[in-house]
Amino acid sequence: MIEIQNLRKEFVLSKQQRKELNTKDSIATAVDGIDFTCKPGRVFSLLGPNGAGKTTTLRMISTIFKPTAGSIKIDGIDAIANPREARKKIGFLTGSTGLYARLTPNEVIKYFADLYEVPKDKFEERKESLYTLLDMHDFQGKRIGKLSTGMKQKVSICRTMIHDPEVVVFDEPTSGLDVITAENIIELIRSCKNEGKTVIFSSHIMSEVDLLCDDLAIIHKGKMLFNGEMSDFKSQMQTDNLTAEFIRIVKSNTPIES
Amino acid sequence: MIFTIFKKELKDTLRDKRTLMMMLVIPVLIFPVILNVFVGISSSFQEEAAQKELKIGFVGEDNNYFLEQLKSLPESMGKKKIIVYKDSVSLKADIKIDSIQIGMFTANNFSSSLENKKPAKLTVFYNATDVGVKKRAETYVKTIEDIALQERYIDLNLDVAQLTPIETSYSNTASDKEMIGKLAGGILPYIFIAFGFLGCMYPAIDLFTGEKERGTIETLLTTPVARWQILFGKMGVVVLSGLLAASAALLGLFFSIEVMDIVENEELLNVVHGILNFKFILLLFLLLLPLTVFFAGIMIPIAVYAKSFKEAQSIITPINLLVVLPAMIGFFPGIKLTMITAMIPVVNIVLSTKELIAGTLDYSLLGVSFAVMILIAVIAVFVSYKQFDKETNVVT
Repeated sequence: MIEIQNLRKEFVLSKQQRKELNTKDSIATAVDGIDFTCKPGRVFSLLGPNGAGKTTTLRMISTIFKPTAGSIKIDGIDAIANPREARKKIGFLTGSTGLYARLTPNEVIKYFADLYEVPKDKFEERKESLYTLLDMHDFQGKRIGKLSTGMKQKVSICRTMIHDPEVVVFDEPTSGLDVITAENIIELIRSCKNEGKTVIFSSHIMSEVDLLCDDLAIIHKGKMLFNGEMSDFKSQMQTDNLTAEFIRIVKSNTPIES
Repeated sequence: MIFTIFKKELKDTLRDKRTLMMMLVIPVLIFPVILNVFVGISSSFQEEAAQKELKIGFVGEDNNYFLEQLKSLPESMGKKKIIVYKDSVSLKADIKIDSIQIGMFTANNFSSSLENKKPAKLTVFYNATDVGVKKRAETYVKTIEDIALQERYIDLNLDVAQLTPIETSYSNTASDKEMIGKLAGGILPYIFIAFGFLGCMYPAIDLFTGEKERGTIETLLTTPVARWQILFGKMGVVVLSGLLAASAALLGLFFSIEVMDIVENEELLNVVHGILNFKFILLLFLLLLPLTVFFAGIMIPIAVYAKSFKEAQSIITPINLLVVLPAMIGFFPGIKLTMITAMIPVVNIVLSTKELIAGTLDYSLLGVSFAVMILIAVIAVFVSYKQFDKETNVVT
């Protein structure tokens, strides 16, 4: 379960950043007081155009960024007051996540299991089941730098899931991947849902959202425009497809009640 | 947890060819190469100078006393060929075109002045850009002068002792160890510092900027490990790399002296044998440890701030000059470890090591140097922590 209340994030702009953004403001608000809840066994999708504040929100949930205001609870744990405890519950995967090219999949998986303090017997069991599920046995001892993009993605998935997280955060997980490789991620999201985990993923690909999500939030310029169930969203649509509706909402920039 | 990160980062670093090159291969090779080139060049210069035939032009009367003495000087004083000239103009012209190297001009009354017990005049022409020629000419002239003087003493029935009111002898109280330590001892710490810095540089950039550039830092920050633990684990590898590079340089020195027998000078060998002992190495590493932590501490904030490997490298390289240049102060023979110099970071390490080699180290000043280095290392680590804790620095 992820519970977000009045979440806000401001960044202090440097002189150079002000020049680049062509603004006189010394502060940029990336996320501007949003609320939502992601429930276990359901897939929550965070939608928004580039620069909407999706990544910043997910980074706050994963405790990489500290919010300026608001509260985040991960399975009841206050993620701001107790970030290390919250992190134990979270698995984090982004499409742009790199891996250590000079290490082997075995070494990376062991490293992350150690960082998450996974007990040895549980680690062996978990590793074996993930390797079998993702068909990773053949390349487990090869250097990651020599693996294909698909193989690397499998290692990333295994790394994310090795500590059996209750909450899984995906930040544009399929960006830059071909359809076959992206399929691994889609499968992973489905299996997380079936296992009763809380899943949140950000995307701007509507077909992916349509395929996977149960609940949905649309944010734009840091503000929430829609927050509700996918079925509600579909029933309120004023256009004939999801992409057109998404564009219409973002362009109108007015919040919609679910 | 720090150890888990340290272990992984060390493994990762040791698999990076570029880092290995800078950390181990180049430092190991540096001493054998430098010593080989240095010894090779100096011995070939000496051989060449000794074997070179010196052509001496001479102007003077027939049966000139000086010419006869010059001809009879033994071959052991260097090979020479004497060419007799008619006048000083052609003599000087030939020196200019290097067909002769020395010109000796005696006045017309040279022999008669000698016979009459008066000073006989000799002018020696030489080209000062021809290194070593003047010294050989002086040796020849001094030898002949001494022979003439002895002959005059005998002719005048004089007692040499009566003509020598003060007989002075100069005796050097400094041991070979002290001489070499004070005069050349600065080079050793300089090389250790330079390699300590280079050894830190690549891992610092790779483990911080590299992790940002490859996009792995974000994942690492979502693990339940405190940021300071990540920082310390990584910093440990940076410091170890600097120390390994300095150790590799020491190993190279040991190798070139003990295995390759490059150095033949016995005095130098004795000194080097004297310093390559457990106590020296222990003290050297004790001094290098805070220095390397300091290096890591100034490189990490830059590596954390930089967005790319290239950017980090372009900022750290000029700092290399700023930090390593003070180490060159150790090359100047007059500068000593005092209360003031012990307060200057990097310089204090060089001077302490120099005094350690010379065997004249004041341990209270060593303590001051060590304390100063620890202090600035702590400050540098604190700055690193502050930078690493800044979320906008770490995640782009």
